[in-house]
Amino acid sequence: MRVVAILFLILQAGVAAAQVRSVELRVPRSFGYFLGDLLQVRADIALEPGFTVQRASLPKPGPVTYWLDLRDVAVERVSGGARLRLTYQSFYAALDARRLDVPGFSVALADANPGGAITSQAEIPPWSFGVSPLREIQPEKRDDPADYLQPDGRVSRLDPEPAATAALVLVGLALLALGLLAYDRAWFGRRRGRPFARAAQRLRRLAGTDEGGYQEALRLIHRSLDETDGRRLLADDLPAFLDRHPAFREEEEALARFFAASRRAFFGREAQAAREIWPWPEMQAALRRLAAAERAA
Amino acid sequence: MNPPRPGDAMLTDWRDAAGRFEAEIARAVVGQARAIRLVTIAIFARGHVMLEGDVGTGKTTLLRAVARALGGAYERIEGTVDLMPTDLIYHTFLGADGRPRVEPGPVLRQAEDLSVFFFNEINRARPQVHALLLRLMAERTVTAFEREWRFPNLQVFADRNRVEREETFELPAAARDRFLMEIGLEAPRDAETRRALAFDPRFHDTDRLIDEVAPAVLDHRGIGGIANAIQHAVDAAPAIEAYVVALWDALLRPAEAGIRLPGIDMAHLVQGGASPRGLAFLVRAARVRAWLEGRDWLVPEDIRALFPDVMAHRIFLEPVHEMRRAEIVPALCRAVFDTVPAP
Repeated sequence: MRVVAILFLILQAGVAAAQVRSVELRVPRSFGYFLGDLLQVRADIALEPGFTVQRASLPKPGPVTYWLDLRDVAVERVSGGARLRLTYQSFYAALDARRLDVPGFSVALADANPGGAITSQAEIPPWSFGVSPLREIQPEKRDDPADYLQPDGRVSRLDPEPAATAALVLVGLALLALGLLAYDRAWFGRRRGRPFARAAQRLRRLAGTDEGGYQEALRLIHRSLDETDGRRLLADDLPAFLDRHPAFREEEEALARFFAASRRAFFGREAQAAREIWPWPEMQAALRRLAAAERAA
Repeated sequence: MNPPRPGDAMLTDWRDAAGRFEAEIARAVVGQARAIRLVTIAIFARGHVMLEGDVGTGKTTLLRAVARALGGAYERIEGTVDLMPTDLIYHTFLGADGRPRVEPGPVLRQAEDLSVFFFNEINRARPQVHALLLRLMAERTVTAFEREWRFPNLQVFADRNRVEREETFELPAAARDRFLMEIGLEAPRDAETRRALAFDPRFHDTDRLIDEVAPAVLDHRGIGGIANAIQHAVDAAPAIEAYVVALWDALLRPAEAGIRLPGIDMAHLVQGGASPRGLAFLVRAARVRAWLEGRDWLVPEDIRALFPDVMAHRIFLEPVHEMRRAEIVPALCRAVFDTVPAP
């Protein structure tokens, strides 16, 4: 940013002079402004420590002269002082390039030190900027007044093809996700669960060495059988179960031993005997085979 | 194996005897293996039995065969509208010499040796008779002729047909609760047996048929002792205790157990019933079944096999559903067993 700086060192007699060290005014450029342009002015006021700008003393946004508006005033604290950001808008319809003067103003300063009551003024100096005309003074003669209007700038047409393709792909993905959700939640009819596969997974986390783990494993298989058949299955129901679910007929012997072991473990108070009927490794293998039979069913 | 306990040999002998008993009855009553097994269980559980079924399905034949194979004194009476309690105790008549006589009635005639008392068509008798029967069944005693009579070996078998409702009296709930089982008897389903029953002349003469049954296969005086031994010998693991209690809860509060029957408000289905006595009977009978199957511990199948016959008549439904009892209660029992997990 090119800086046009007007540097004023204000030396004033008395107490007030001591609080304001300098006021520096910066404008991006000092010439080449057209009708309606915004001017961003920055005023850096170097102050003694503890002094601040009183907001009430700042100029109110509004018309400054008939051709100049103050749009916005903002104060921020910076190290070593305060910074004013002033936004002006010029409405000067220039016929030739010329300089315009903007009047200065003063802001009040307050002492924020404890017990301090000193106030003083900082003078923001007047400044100037150069404006230029938008059009020639005497345009070419036209018959139709509408011809004096200039056409808008042309913009190139955007190609809708990639956006349409992307939308189509995303719609497809959304439908696929919806389908997956419907399958997961079984919105359209019952999904065949795989209780034995789940049981086999949970069996891996069980310790086969202690009695509780063995009984828990037996319970897992009981629940899988119950879920497969939709009712509670007891040992005597095995033949009927195999008739209803012929996919498990291959595992008849394993299931018979499972029921014998379960009876012993739960109702015969003979956990050790149950283990002898159906040892842990055999249970693991049988459950894997049952899960496979279930997939094939 | 565990070393055989002293009682084990006796239990085994009795089990063999029970097998012979069932086989003898099966000679006279074909196609009713389940009913025969249930009656055997009732005998060894020392419980009274109600037989229910259509006319001519063999209720009376079955009971006569059981009475013959069981041995001991046997009496029967037919229920009628004008039967009075005193008719069971004594009857009065004019003797040959023209003098009035008072003789003991069917209950007292065999004195305290009576082992089977068979009440035919019990629902035709009046409530007064049911009340007398209540005491006879619950306490096995009767007060008559200024003294108390005890019948230590008595078992009451009753039957009723469920076709007629006119001139019949529904048994009070208290009397029904005293029966260990209500066994439903239906005509055999399989074609071979049906053909034999219809065409084999052997089945046409009931008296001759009963005579074919060997008498006194079981020693009726020993049954009380062996029944006690069975109850002590058959073990119920904690898992089976929890199972029975869970069944009980599910039966009384089916809605909370998650049971749904189509078209029925489950929260207002069961009014009550399923008494603790009923449950004790159930476990008692289940132990006998375990013993008959050669086990000395209970399994859930023992409970399930007896549940409908022991518990169904103890469930009281809300009056709205009472008319459809015959279809609701079996469905409820099935649903209970389909819902409550065994181990």
